[in-house]
Amino acid sequence: MSATTEAPAALKKNYLTALKEALDEEMARNKMMLCQGEDIGRLGGAFGVTEGLQAKYGEDRVVDMPISEAAIVGSAVGMALNGMTVMAEMQFIDFISCGFDQIVNMMATYHYRTAGEVHIPVVVRGPAGAYGGGALYHSQMNEAWFCNAPGLKVVCPSTPYDAKGMLKAALRDGNPVIFYEIKELYRKREIEEELPTEDYIVPLGKAAIRREGKDVTLVSYGQNVYHCLDAAVELEKLGISAEVIDIRSLVPLDEDTIFNSIAKTSRVIVVNEAPMTCGFAGELIARISQKAFHLLDAPPSRVTRMDTPVPWVKPLELHVLPTIDKIVAEAVRIYRF
Amino acid sequence: MKSPREFVPSGFLVYLGWGNLAIIVIQKTENLLSAKSGSATAERAEQVKKPSQRLTKEDCLEIFKQLYLARYFDVRLIKEKKRGRLRGTLYSSHNQEAVLVGSLFGLKPTDWISPIHRDMPAFFMKDFRFDIDNPDRLGMSIEEVCAQVWGKEGSPGRARDNWSHIGSKSKRIIHSTSMLAGTIPVAAGVAYADRMQGGDAVVLTYNGEGSTAQGIFHEAVNYAAVHKLPVITIVENNQWAYGTPVDQECPTPDVADRAKGYGIPGLIADGQDVFDVYDKVMEAVEYARAGNGPAIVECKTFRAYGHGDHDDDRAMKYRPSEEIEKGRRRDPIAVCRQTLIDLGYLTGDAKTMYMAEGKNAGDATNDDFPPEVVDFLNKGIEFAMNSPMPAAEEAEKWVFWNGGQA
Ligand SMILES: Cc1ncc(C[n+]2csc(CCOP(=O)(O)OP(=O)(O)O)c2C)c(N)n1
Repeated sequence: MSATTEAPAALKKNYLTALKEALDEEMARNKMMLCQGEDIGRLGGAFGVTEGLQAKYGEDRVVDMPISEAAIVGSAVGMALNGMTVMAEMQFIDFISCGFDQIVNMMATYHYRTAGEVHIPVVVRGPAGAYGGGALYHSQMNEAWFCNAPGLKVVCPSTPYDAKGMLKAALRDGNPVIFYEIKELYRKREIEEELPTEDYIVPLGKAAIRREGKDVTLVSYGQNVYHCLDAAVELEKLGISAEVIDIRSLVPLDEDTIFNSIAKTSRVIVVNEAPMTCGFAGELIARISQKAFHLLDAPPSRVTRMDTPVPWVKPLELHVLPTIDKIVAEAVRIYRF
Repeated sequence: MKSPREFVPSGFLVYLGWGNLAIIVIQKTENLLSAKSGSATAERAEQVKKPSQRLTKEDCLEIFKQLYLARYFDVRLIKEKKRGRLRGTLYSSHNQEAVLVGSLFGLKPTDWISPIHRDMPAFFMKDFRFDIDNPDRLGMSIEEVCAQVWGKEGSPGRARDNWSHIGSKSKRIIHSTSMLAGTIPVAAGVAYADRMQGGDAVVLTYNGEGSTAQGIFHEAVNYAAVHKLPVITIVENNQWAYGTPVDQECPTPDVADRAKGYGIPGLIADGQDVFDVYDKVMEAVEYARAGNGPAIVECKTFRAYGHGDHDDDRAMKYRPSEEIEKGRRRDPIAVCRQTLIDLGYLTGDAKTMYMAEGKNAGDATNDDFPPEVVDFLNKGIEFAMNSPMPAAEEAEKWVFWNGGQA
């Protein structure tokens, strides 16, 4: 249904199509894989990520589930225990809290509890993130909840290439993975890319350098990567050269790429749309302070959402979220420190 | 969703066979539903042949022995705990053994079970029908279970979690956890995957009546009902959830009534009568195996002691002593013994041998149990005592799966 997939000029593909292709190819490759979630079959998902999959793979492998996140996640654990790989869709990542117990107490701990007898190949994925007026319950980035639960991998791709390659990697990983998709990027024309025709994966745990620079490192993931790239353009006009790192994978984390960049720039800002307190930005800054302090010429800094819910209307929403202006201002401050 | 019958691989004949079985089972369950709780005698008078009437004399005597084994395990653990030899909390299954033995006895080795904190004997009793010493049976070994209780190396989860939290994928026992009712959706997923793979496994889950108040109980049973998954939720209604009586946990006198809301059978068994438990669970199992979907089987029983051994003294205060006496009076071993005497399966001296029933754990001695039962458990305990502790550094292992590399 996506306009972009059917457009004649469609050598380039959007983020959503990339995800759909990943699911389709993995379903074809792995007969023991199953997808389940609310409205993902007949309708093809609230955003269309699973569109066409039920027609292709049947009702048993693309399952419309009751509105029951705990059952979606919990039964996926049971399926995994009994030999299957499961993609469990949260209609919006905000609703993952209704399946929270099954994720953090059941899924995350299974391998540990059984001293390795059982592993749980389940990917819980769903649309996340703000900037579109989704308001309080359709805008969250709640990744920190899961980074705090040992046993889960947590990832967040920002490009179509990564979306496909990381989803495929997650489905083959064998561990439970919480997969954050940025819904504002699903159909964004500017970020469409050509995707390889052959099978590929993007390994979990590797960061990407999106722009090279020498004065300040901007570390980010998801939607904020684009804010950082735009901020870098503004900073260049001010004579400040920013390097932009997209960590892509929060757990496991590629510390080396971050530290190597700081070795070059001596300054770092973490940009993150989750609220500040106990957010992942704080974790990054703690690690940088502990392990790369000697490389720094200025205190490591962060631009995050304020500690508020995400409000609805635009001026309020942008007031609490990281914006290009806020990133630029902080980079200038750090540069002049 | 495909009807479960369509998953049967071997064609038309099987299809017809299953269809017929399904019809028979549905009729029988309808009978049962209308008879509801009913006394054992009223049900014996019924025309329908109960599953327990298919049991041979040997089966019945085996069941009797297994009640003793479950009891002995509990008695020994209570004593070991009192002597300070065990770490952690013991959730006694005393007086509730008929629920475990009666429900497990009719299963096939390919079936799965999902016991919880009060069901420790179930972990090694799965598949006992095929003889306790049979090395090919699919239950866990008594050595594994005891190693877990003692927190030693030979335990399946390397004693990383509390003793009642074990399980075994290869033995088809879903790992127990502290999250009450949290394993029911897992059981449903196991059943779904089994059906996808052409199996006919039934999954039994065990839960206290208090746990049915959890939202996830509803979510899981509702999901299983929608997909007609062969998941039997056994509710061990022992009248108390920790310190809270059942009427503060559940607004209807019978927890089984919850089944109506899912359009599935809700059966009630006399949880002190192992044969009644066997009948009700077997009917649900046959009904589920034939593709009709899940059921709830509520077993009315009584918790003999406190919630856990830490709670024994307090339990005397929040539970009136008359209630405790009354609740313990129908001991499942005594009830079973009487049935066997009535059937003429126990005669002469055998009628009064090994009288563990009605005794407090502290008062029972080895003479109250058949010697093979005592020996069986002693083997496990000896193994556990001689097994070393896991190495401290193991605590860092197995957070993530590494693709199966050592
Ligand atoms: C989700 C959750 N909440 C609370 C507890 C603490 N807890 C453990 S057992 C128990 C009582 C359980 O009662 P019931 O389900 O009736 O089972 P019983 O112990 O009587 O067999 C409670 C409250 C828990 N383990 N899990």
